[in-house]
Amino acid sequence: MSEFAKSLTVSASGLQAQSARLRHLSENISNADTPGYQRKTIAFETAFSAARGVSPVEVGRVSLDDRELELIHDPSHPLADESGHYRGSNVNLLIELADAREAQRSYEANLKMFEQARQMSSSLMQLLRR
Amino acid sequence: MFQNLAVFDTAYAMATHAGKKQALIAQNVANADTPGYVARDLPSFQDLYASRDGGGHMPRATRSGHLHGVADGSVASMVQKDRSFASPDGNTVSLETEMLRGTDAKRQHERALAIYGSALSVLRTSLGRQ
Repeated sequence: MSEFAKSLTVSASGLQAQSARLRHLSENISNADTPGYQRKTIAFETAFSAARGVSPVEVGRVSLDDRELELIHDPSHPLADESGHYRGSNVNLLIELADAREAQRSYEANLKMFEQARQMSSSLMQLLRR
Repeated sequence: MFQNLAVFDTAYAMATHAGKKQALIAQNVANADTPGYVARDLPSFQDLYASRDGGGHMPRATRSGHLHGVADGSVASMVQKDRSFASPDGNTVSLETEMLRGTDAKRQHERALAIYGSALSVLRTSLGRQ
């Protein structure tokens, strides 16, 4: 496996991981008003493969955030108990948006490295073409 | 004299080194959000070149075993010493620094290819071809 192929593999794994993260974030955001929804979090792991000689990044298990669900006062809600409260989701939109911005930034960085490896290999091919 | 031209060897080693460096940077960028990941680096080509005859402890990128992917595991990467960008989860990758180093690797690669191409045209001219 050439260095450029390694580089492209690793960058592609980074792109995949970041887009998986973004997907979970958008799930969280869209379920921000779902009663009883627990926000999902994912962890990134380095998956070293000695055979390929690279350390691509992989998405680990999805885990649920077990923070306290928000208590919302709305007596007219069908799920409301005797005191007029029901459990909403534990999604904090501000955290999700900040996380999404970070994911986007990392995604762009990976894309840049991918593009760079591609340019380097194409300039190598240019040498053959002359 | 024409059996083994040093300028081609050097240009080749330089391009290979730039490729390896770029792959390592891509790996760092892909793992920029992996908890506990420590950024890795290669010694600079200048240092490697300076230590080629001195028998120093520097790993060399100029041996045949270091060809593109021929001998995996020969990548003598080292851990980056700079921990000033360490985040609370133990990740020491700084995207900005990696971008800078990526551009550096790309320029080194282009320089090596330019040297190679120029030496090739000198050789062609000496053979009476254009």
